[in-house]
Amino acid sequence: MTTTLEHKAPVIKHEGGGLARHQNFLTAMIGGVAGAFIAWAISHHFFAQDVRTTSDAVAVLTGCGWIVGFWLGIGALNAPLAWLIGSDQTRKDQLYYAGEDQGTKRYWKYCTDHKVVGVQYIVMTMVLLGAGGILAMAIRTELIVPGNHFVDQQVYNGFIAVHGMLMILALIVAVAGPWGNFVVPIMCGAKDMAFPRLNALSLWTLVGAAGLLLTTLAVGSLTMGWVVLAPITDQAGVGMDFFALAILVFTVSTTVAGVNTICTVFTMRTKGMTLERLPIMVWGAIIAAALGLYAFPYFSLVEALQILDRTFSTSFFIGNAGGTGWLQANLFWLMGHPEVYVILIPAVAAVFEIAAVMARKPVFSYRTAVAGMVGLAGLSILVWAHHMFTTGWAPTLGGPFMVTTELISIPTGLFFLVLIGTLWRGNIWMKLPTVWVFGFIANFIIAGITGIYLSDIPIDNQLHGTMFVTAHFHYVFVGSVLFGAIGALAFWYPKVTGRYLDEKLGRISFWLSFIGVQVTFLAMFISGLRGMPRRYASYAFIFEHTNFISTMGAYMIMAGMLVLMGAVIYCWNHGEPSGSNPWHANSLEWLVSTPPPLENFDVLPVVTEDPYNFGKELVRS
Amino acid sequence: MNRTKAIGIALTSVLLGGGALALAGYSLASATPHQTAQKCVPNPTKVGHCTLTISSYPDSLAGGHGKDGGAHPDWVSYLNQDLSVPANTVVDMVVNQYDGGEVLNNIFFDQVMGTIGNVAKYDGVTLSKVAPDHVGHTFTLRGYPGLNGQSGKRIFLNVPLIANEGENAVKIGSGEYPKPVVIEFSFKVGSKGVYQWNCEYPCGSSRVGQFGFAMASYGYMAGTLTVE
Amino acid sequence: MTNSNDNKKSLKSFYWLWAILTALGIAVSLYAPGYLMPESMSQTMHLSVLTMVVFSVAAAPVAAGVYAAALYILRNWTHKGDSVPAAGPAFRESGKVVITWTLTSVLLTVFLLIWGLGALAADSAGSTANPLVVKVVGQQWVWSFEYQGQNGTTVMSNDLYLPKGREVLFHVTSLDVTHGFWAPQMGTQVDANDETITDLHVTPNKLGTFDVRCTQFCGLNHAFMVTQGHVLTPSAFTTWLNAQPARS
Ligand code: HEM
Ligand SMILES: [Cu+2]
Ligand SMILES: [Cu+2]
Ligand SMILES: [Cu+2]
Repeated sequence: MTTTLEHKAPVIKHEGGGLARHQNFLTAMIGGVAGAFIAWAISHHFFAQDVRTTSDAVAVLTGCGWIVGFWLGIGALNAPLAWLIGSDQTRKDQLYYAGEDQGTKRYWKYCTDHKVVGVQYIVMTMVLLGAGGILAMAIRTELIVPGNHFVDQQVYNGFIAVHGMLMILALIVAVAGPWGNFVVPIMCGAKDMAFPRLNALSLWTLVGAAGLLLTTLAVGSLTMGWVVLAPITDQAGVGMDFFALAILVFTVSTTVAGVNTICTVFTMRTKGMTLERLPIMVWGAIIAAALGLYAFPYFSLVEALQILDRTFSTSFFIGNAGGTGWLQANLFWLMGHPEVYVILIPAVAAVFEIAAVMARKPVFSYRTAVAGMVGLAGLSILVWAHHMFTTGWAPTLGGPFMVTTELISIPTGLFFLVLIGTLWRGNIWMKLPTVWVFGFIANFIIAGITGIYLSDIPIDNQLHGTMFVTAHFHYVFVGSVLFGAIGALAFWYPKVTGRYLDEKLGRISFWLSFIGVQVTFLAMFISGLRGMPRRYASYAFIFEHTNFISTMGAYMIMAGMLVLMGAVIYCWNHGEPSGSNPWHANSLEWLVSTPPPLENFDVLPVVTEDPYNFGKELVRS
Repeated sequence: MNRTKAIGIALTSVLLGGGALALAGYSLASATPHQTAQKCVPNPTKVGHCTLTISSYPDSLAGGHGKDGGAHPDWVSYLNQDLSVPANTVVDMVVNQYDGGEVLNNIFFDQVMGTIGNVAKYDGVTLSKVAPDHVGHTFTLRGYPGLNGQSGKRIFLNVPLIANEGENAVKIGSGEYPKPVVIEFSFKVGSKGVYQWNCEYPCGSSRVGQFGFAMASYGYMAGTLTVE
Repeated sequence: MTNSNDNKKSLKSFYWLWAILTALGIAVSLYAPGYLMPESMSQTMHLSVLTMVVFSVAAAPVAAGVYAAALYILRNWTHKGDSVPAAGPAFRESGKVVITWTLTSVLLTVFLLIWGLGALAADSAGSTANPLVVKVVGQQWVWSFEYQGQNGTTVMSNDLYLPKGREVLFHVTSLDVTHGFWAPQMGTQVDANDETITDLHVTPNKLGTFDVRCTQFCGLNHAFMVTQGHVLTPSAFTTWLNAQPARS
């Protein structure tokens, strides 16, 4: 059976527009490399290499050259520059940038269509997860037996930091990127995002940032954990500069994306789409976006000051010159804890959405669900110092921060109430997305409970900095967020491609990953309990068995992820056709054709009720 | 999709992906330069003893870091860094110290610790302690042997090297150095294992502790001692 | 397809499942922390293990409830066959359930908080007037410990020696980057920061050796920044101390 999918429609040649009509990822790369080279040549000429601060300056300027060149090359600056010289874009230009009639080519371009951006985010997330995953396998392979066998400790330390950072970036965008862009605007009944060009900007800026981050690996030194806290940063080579710059650029991307999501939801909803009729997924997207707008400025601040410390020898974070590393630690965790929920909340919201559709029931206690997410976001800005319990920074604040942290378990508990309540007495449709939802539930409870241990100071004094912590946050990230994200992928994949993500392949992948997660990270809990610190390139022989088991589990997860990747690639063109509403759901993204037309709706729909009244389901294809 | 096809695609994905990963990992691992460890030479006259001679330089020009000092010719270095000794022997170690020096971060390391008799010979003079403001590098070996689950014995050994203040007199590789201060000491090793050693004199720049660059990188001021 | 299906089932097997899983959870909770965590050599560590046990026991019914519910749902309410399932019962709210759930979790949280704050206070209190002061110096990548020897001299050591039964006050600092001073068997840790001294106290109550490991990433040889501690009888400790060479 074949279906004609819009992205295979014939390519029509565009006239006019000159060079700007030929810009794509390739020209962006060329622009970036050229920009970097020019910046390097100039700065190198002015700042000789031998004094350390000047070589940092060269690195920073080279990175800036990369990102400016990349923006120019992809065409991000075309419209603003054209506007500056007084030549406004025509409707034809706008449609061109929206990717009209450009077939698959538009996926490589600066395209303003939110659905194209969504697909680009899917690919981007998979690339980041893949790169981080390769490093995870390298880490686990090195830890398979005690001692240094494959790489020395310097290389290993670099693996840990870059693995951590890549994975964090990947998960920040894993749900909000693809689905916040692809489905959220349609869910609201909007023709596009509020600021389509900013949408493209956020995606391509992320690509540019990822380029900078990978450069740190090439220039050999980010050997201090992903948190990258002073004073040890001062001993790092130029990898540190590229890292700091990558974060600055990345925060530009998230800020732009966050503003865009919020504005879209608040200004572009169609008639009748009251806030209480929004699919719960939309709430997750805007709450996470708002939290990101609060949190990420701290991140840029930290890295900006870091760059100043390195290039101009300021001493914000240098203890022996009047600064303090604790300042950086505070600023970092003021970002760092909310960021965890920027990652978590969209995944939770997606899981709610899937649960409701698959149980054929309304989200149980919708308002509690929204309140839980808002409560979590609110509390998350008050708990940062629980990452600093053992630093000695403020011993008397231990109690208060312990209180705020443990309060988090209340909104978290509400998530379980909503989920169980939604599934309870449902007619559960055990399709692939549902399977991942149950995986999410099983893992998230372990993640949550081990988090409570760590929030308790007498326990944290023992377990801080051990593999127990590592296992805890991997239950959050891998077991919960990644499972939720994969559920979301399975759920909306048919909307993107018109085909199902194959059920059988998906289940093979699920079982490999699910068992793999338990094996890897339960064993890692034990390593931690028995006393193995984290970020250790080698370990004492008493940790040998649990580490071996963890490595075996990690290989299972890898197998699971590879199967998933195989399925995503295979089914894109060869999967079973799904029609436009495979799950018989009522939210607006399922009511438009698959793939949705360029501006989503010919006539904007009028909404009269929320999407969870399955009983009154309209008859649809 | 029927079951056979699904299993086929799953296996293909895993084999292709896993194979690509393994191949990439293997080629990367074999492409990274691996120093062959310098072996302790058995002493023909003293049974159970072997001799190990290494040197410390103010730069990386003495050879061993590639042509003209490789990527960082100006970084201080030890040659060699990876050492290998037979199990249950007495290691008679000789360090030729070509570099100058100054003040330690911690006077703890001005003392000779863990050698036989807790002493070392400095150009023939036996000392148990040197002036803490006159130290070149240190040879500090510590920890447990981490190798395939063997418990082994913990070692803590520290020998400070006196700063060399002589005029340049000898040429080694593409570098020029004074006549070395020769430091000799002996220590016992037990059963098999790999120990890590490094220098505890702050000889890499950075504003914090001066443990950056050469000190923070493998292959300059840190290495392994393999007991086999 | 109508909305008539309300899927009401007897909950008996759910309660059974919950009870069994809870019992299992509690059994593991009572046993696992003590078995898995390092041997306790101080009251602080004892309290830490005990708190693990208490928290695990408190968490067991919660986790068991969620697992039981998930399993029960999977067992009873999955749709069979290839057709699209009919709508489930359209209940949306239940004030009673939400309030019960929230109150329960508030109560549990408050209990954990009271326990935790109590344990924290118990551990911070009890400082004696005459603790043994040991300066802990972290530096890349070696620990050294400084004691007050006879006649105001300083004694330095790479191994940590402590007398049994006397409170020890550690003044922890670093000469370069941040390190984490952790003695797993003592159940406590604090960072070693440059330009700053942080305090940590512990009273060893058992003779034997223990580990010291660095828990803050500190660069190249972080994984090898380990040493050993020894708890001695007070007289053996004094003998050891007096046998050490004075360093200043
Ligand atoms: C196959 C799955 C994965 C495995 C086997 C794995 C394994 C590991 C290991 C062994 C470490 C080093 C632990 C240590 O010594 O501290 C680590 C660190 C880390 N991982 Fe993963 N990981 C996986 C996936 C992920 C994912 C999906 C994330 C998503 C956010 C993630 C985030 C992190 C972070 C933030 C760190 C900390 C890095 C640091 O210490 O600075 N990992 N991982
Ligand atoms: Cu936090
Ligand atoms: Cu040195
Ligand atoms: Cu350390």
